[in-house]
Amino acid sequence: MTVVDTPAAAPRPARRRWSLPDNGYRAVLAVAAAAVAALAVWFLVSMIVQARPAFSTLGFSWIVQKTWDPTHGRYGLLPFILGTFEVTAIAVVLAVPIGLGTALALAYLVPQRARAGLSTTVELLAAIPSVVYGLWGLIVLAPVFRSTVEPFLTSVLGWTGLFDGPDNGVGLLLAGVILFVMILPTMVAISRDVLAVVPNEQVEGAIALGATRWQVLRKVVVPGARSGLLGAFTLATGRALGETVAVALVIGNSPYIAHSLKSPAATIPSLIVNNFGESTGTELAVLFAAGLVLLVIGIAVNSVARWLVWSAAGSDVGAATR
Amino acid sequence: MTTVADAPVDPTVERRRAVQQAATASLRRRRLGSRVALGLCWACLAVAVVPLVAVVAYVVAKGLPAWNLDFFTHSTTPEGIAGGGVWNAIVGTVVITTIAIAVAVPLGLTVGLFLAESDGRPAAALRFTADVMTGIPSITIGIFGYIAIVRNFGYSGLAGSFAIGFVMLPVIVRAGETAFRGVPRSLNEAAMALGARRATVARRVVVPTALPGVITGVLLAIARGLGETAPLLLTILGNEYLQWNPTKPMESLPTLIYSYSQQPFADLVQVAWGAALLLVVVVLILSIGSRVLAGRLRKERR
Amino acid sequence: MTTPNVIRTVRGRRALPLAALGLAAAALLAACSSSSSTPTTTTAPPGGTLSSSNAAFLAADLQAPAGSLNAAGSTFVQPFFTSAFYAYTGKNPGLQVNYQGTGSGSGITAFEAGTVAFAASDVPMSASDLAKVPASSGPVVQIPDILGGVSVSYNLPGVSTRLKLDGATLAGIFDGSITTWNASQITALNPGVSLPAHAIVPEVRADSSGTTYIFTDYLASASPTTWKLGTSKTIAWPSSAEQTPKNSGVAASIKSTPYSIGYVELSYAIQNKFTYAAVKNAAGNYVVPSLATVAADADQKVGVSPTDFSIVNQPGATSYPISGYSWAILLQKQTSATTGAQVVKVLDWTTHTGGGQDLAAGLDYVSLPPAVQNQNRTQLLTVTGPSGQTLLTK
Repeated sequence: MTVVDTPAAAPRPARRRWSLPDNGYRAVLAVAAAAVAALAVWFLVSMIVQARPAFSTLGFSWIVQKTWDPTHGRYGLLPFILGTFEVTAIAVVLAVPIGLGTALALAYLVPQRARAGLSTTVELLAAIPSVVYGLWGLIVLAPVFRSTVEPFLTSVLGWTGLFDGPDNGVGLLLAGVILFVMILPTMVAISRDVLAVVPNEQVEGAIALGATRWQVLRKVVVPGARSGLLGAFTLATGRALGETVAVALVIGNSPYIAHSLKSPAATIPSLIVNNFGESTGTELAVLFAAGLVLLVIGIAVNSVARWLVWSAAGSDVGAATR
Repeated sequence: MTTVADAPVDPTVERRRAVQQAATASLRRRRLGSRVALGLCWACLAVAVVPLVAVVAYVVAKGLPAWNLDFFTHSTTPEGIAGGGVWNAIVGTVVITTIAIAVAVPLGLTVGLFLAESDGRPAAALRFTADVMTGIPSITIGIFGYIAIVRNFGYSGLAGSFAIGFVMLPVIVRAGETAFRGVPRSLNEAAMALGARRATVARRVVVPTALPGVITGVLLAIARGLGETAPLLLTILGNEYLQWNPTKPMESLPTLIYSYSQQPFADLVQVAWGAALLLVVVVLILSIGSRVLAGRLRKERR
Repeated sequence: MTTPNVIRTVRGRRALPLAALGLAAAALLAACSSSSSTPTTTTAPPGGTLSSSNAAFLAADLQAPAGSLNAAGSTFVQPFFTSAFYAYTGKNPGLQVNYQGTGSGSGITAFEAGTVAFAASDVPMSASDLAKVPASSGPVVQIPDILGGVSVSYNLPGVSTRLKLDGATLAGIFDGSITTWNASQITALNPGVSLPAHAIVPEVRADSSGTTYIFTDYLASASPTTWKLGTSKTIAWPSSAEQTPKNSGVAASIKSTPYSIGYVELSYAIQNKFTYAAVKNAAGNYVVPSLATVAADADQKVGVSPTDFSIVNQPGATSYPISGYSWAILLQKQTSATTGAQVVKVLDWTTHTGGGQDLAAGLDYVSLPPAVQNQNRTQLLTVTGPSGQTLLTK
């Protein structure tokens, strides 16, 4: 038996795993972006088409009128616009500092081993369905507000004029607080991630220069994460503007302009959800138009947020990667 | 020999002493300020945790009594019929959310990647659009789903997926973009210097590095999608019976909670709380699971 | 607590004299009401008597073809419909009916768009709603499907006697002109009861609601000169009123707000064990809402139709004045013989004694007066399939 001398196998050519060519890659990304843009346009067009009867029948002045009385054909939207702003403002004014503080704590102060657990705990707030927040607010928190919190705040801060009127429990204050709790996990989770990825060299550099821990956070970490924090703020504000069910249950649903933080009020989403199931005709078109108005408000808020102190220029992580 | 008392004061020493005093005073002041500020941060954390504990405790207290074997295995029964459960709602939620995730996550992350890499006008416009979209009230999204899908094709789980996907999409886009932008440019450049195509860079460098942030963002979006009621109210109609087919009306946990909590009958209300507790537990599991996953991925890369 | 789901058979179904039929119906209603009055009669009862062919129709109803139906509308009838349809499927397992309480308005919208087989609404479709149904779809049939009452529930600490209130006083409370509990109008109606000097907190609906419609219909009928806010599903309440969405929301608000008073469907008042007022009816008596008193009110006006549907403030000594029907809506010309047969048979079964109506009392609803049931059947007999055939058979 002859031993066949097997020739050495030819060296396998260096085979690169196929990857999308650059053009293809850019094309895929562009198509995805176009799809989302198309979706947004489709949404806008649908809303405008549904809202048009309201504008053709009632004109435009109703948007800034004060009286909401559909039975007699009066559709003033102003109280709802103001209510939306007010309740969102309360929620955001609470959520930004507290959310930022919590995020800083989670990213830099909490011992490493507890970090994951506590982060998950805060994020769990996002898991709770909005109807549960609303019911909890109405059944549990409203009586507490009526009997304890509101009298206390009135006695301490009544001089500001923001706390006039009776203690209702439900109202702007309660809705703002519930909304704050609801947007907090968004604010915290994204802020924490953004704050955590500020380059270590910058942090260490600041420490080397003798900065205290707070100075490091305030002067290096937070500014370094600016555009990401803006993203967190935007998402949180967006959620606050659009929250429907929870707010409808605790805001008191009063179609009058609120005079104090304790007054009941109403927002555009609460108006829509309360009336959509039952309305037809002009009133239905008005609800669509109100949704459009809210869209415009969202655009305005987002524009202001961009123009704010967080300017695009600056030594933030986001800018550095451009 | 000169005494200490009448020795001429050395201006340099004097100056050094003054600077040292100032520095010490400054450090003391800054340390105090730091302690106060950090204390406030801890207080913020406490403020964030307290309502959570309160709400979860409430949901557990009201929902746990509803949990029994029937609750998880039987579909809903009307008032007065014992042995009902939320199985039809569980199935509906799983089907609807899975379809929504399957479409919204890849699409959203791709667009997030696009935005992270682009800075031109169209990208800025799209970024702005996504931001505005996060602010659209969930009821309006439900109305859109009704107009776009239900009017033409009837109530269905797919219409619900469409609406939920719409809710989740801008959140994923923005959170994804934020995460992808957080990847240091140096890593990108290094990969490209090694000759990698952009797609490879994205797949091998950007996405894995940004994964923790991406997972957080996706998780936030899913948590939001699971808990949203209004978009589903107008699109899936609801179903008393078990339905696996997404082209038909389906039941879901959020809509069940919404409608059963409005009932006058205490046992139906309890079913609603049981379902709420279930949702919370599901998201908790998702949250922990994804953290474990992200941690393991991070370890592998090292 | 829940009542076992026992379908009670009406004993009078066999050929008995009309009087006995009326007795049985009255006894059934009285057996599950909290009122002590049991009207006995030897003449034809005011609510009418059930037609003798009822049993035959009911048997045929259970032979409807297999399949599944979707329906939507009023949240008020949801507990009743889900129970009734569940029981129906128990007897005719091939046919599943999925009813969802999305709101009367959205039920009507869905009906107009053709996405549901039939709809339910607390207020029948108005002329403008009917105009939205495409002409090709043909006329619309609307029939009452169940009866309900609206209670005036209140939370008055320290007062254990049941309050008596009349239309004018309620109008004053809910339009904000009567502001304290010890106002003269209230004390005049309740002599001997010591009422606190506290402000009244009216609890009302924030959302568009059939319950609001029935309540304001009563106020307009009982106190036409003083009630100025109109009869509608949405009212411009005074700023002193607290507005919460849904019956359950108003109930929760009443429960947690001392010195409040609001209007909620009777089932919510009963289930939450509220204290509710005795309301003055057209005969001048102060009547407590119950299944029997609501039925007594409905019995006074059995000739209801979609254009004449209000039954508030009817004459009769024991009538509870704040009562109303809920309505089922379907197309007269069904486009599919199978679906059409399913719809009419299910609705016929649900709206008759011996079928779905037997479940009403266990859920705090009031079953339809027999005369109304007979009218329903007449209406349902006009529903035809695509080739013009009558779909309801016996």
